[in-house]
Amino acid sequence: MAVRVQFENNNDIGVFSKLTNAYCLVAVGGSENFYSTFEAELADTIPVVHASIAGCRIIGRMCVGNRNGLIMPYSTTDQELQHIRNCLPDEIKIQRVEERLSALGNVVSCNDYVALVHPDLDRETEEILADVLKVEVFRQTVTDQVLVGSYCCFSNQGGLVHPKTSVEAQDELSSLLQVPLVAGTVNRGSEVIGGGMVVNDWCAFCGLDTTSTELSVIESVFKLGDHQNQGTVQSKIRDSLIDSLV
Amino acid sequence: MRVETCSFCSSPVYPGHGMNFVRNDCKVFRFCRGKCHKAFKKKRNPRKVKWTKAYRRSHGKELTNDASLEFEKKRNNPVKYDRETWQKTVHAIRRIEEIKTKRHNHFIMNRLKVGKKVETEADIREVKQNINLIKSPAAGLLQKRQEEELVEVLPEDDQEMENVE
Repeated sequence: MAVRVQFENNNDIGVFSKLTNAYCLVAVGGSENFYSTFEAELADTIPVVHASIAGCRIIGRMCVGNRNGLIMPYSTTDQELQHIRNCLPDEIKIQRVEERLSALGNVVSCNDYVALVHPDLDRETEEILADVLKVEVFRQTVTDQVLVGSYCCFSNQGGLVHPKTSVEAQDELSSLLQVPLVAGTVNRGSEVIGGGMVVNDWCAFCGLDTTSTELSVIESVFKLGDHQNQGTVQSKIRDSLIDSLV
Repeated sequence: MRVETCSFCSSPVYPGHGMNFVRNDCKVFRFCRGKCHKAFKKKRNPRKVKWTKAYRRSHGKELTNDASLEFEKKRNNPVKYDRETWQKTVHAIRRIEEIKTKRHNHFIMNRLKVGKKVETEADIREVKQNINLIKSPAAGLLQKRQEEELVEVLPEDDQEMENVE
């Protein structure tokens, strides 16, 4: 299922939330609408947690995580770190890193097995990433954009990249990541994919402006819901329509 | 909220005190007061300024490389809240602080002992070298004269004794 949500009239929900297969972090907002949308979808399977990083609400861009762990920037305070540790299950490792590029969500994009990182990321941070998140790390760019976390978004099923990514680059990336990739947009033509949506293996959230075309692309590439079945149903309907027309 | 340490003199910086300086490579420097900030702006090396902890540590004036100093550090992986462990930790903090001060005092006493020893040695050496300043060449003269007088007196005594008999 792909769901449209908005955070305080803002469509860039990837900025204010972090979704993985094992947990979901949501920013503390003025109203609980944003949180309750996530809770309605996810609460019976994974913990949905209110969080802040360095007193800011832009948690989605500041931290990076997957099923195995969560990496926080050095600006996270001790209290916030403790709060997140207390809320998440024990098997998820949490680590704070002394990284110069503190917006980890913008410089790292990962699923449960592989991660794309900014070419300038510290060697030490790269090791911690590999260690805590149990991923294979690749230093890559997406269409010459070094902020890989902002311009692409992928789960274990598939991925969405910057709309100007060439076919060759897509092929290269998808062979690195071992998942099918599609170039696309969210939020009515926004190319900031990572900032505009969050996704895990069975669920996606995107901004309220996302068009139905964009939504159907997202659902098909991330293999959400019973899209395959829908596809077959649609093709059957179309076949019958064509038949009737003929 | 955390009690930071001053990056110049290593004293604690409590919330609402001092000043932060962020260099353009993202390194954050915290200063406890204007004194430290000014010293930093003048590019003073804390290892060469006598009143800083860095100087005292690098010159062997304070306890370093001790197990009791290993407890207090910034930790990057949090531990889940458990009332019992936290109680124990709070208890342990006091105990460790006690041990730390004890070892620290002991270290300073030992350090001062060396100075005392050197001082006495130097004193003894000085006395030996400059003994002529204390002991005048005429020091034995008086005694010698008295002895001579005694020798003169003794035979007289004998005569008197004989007279009495």
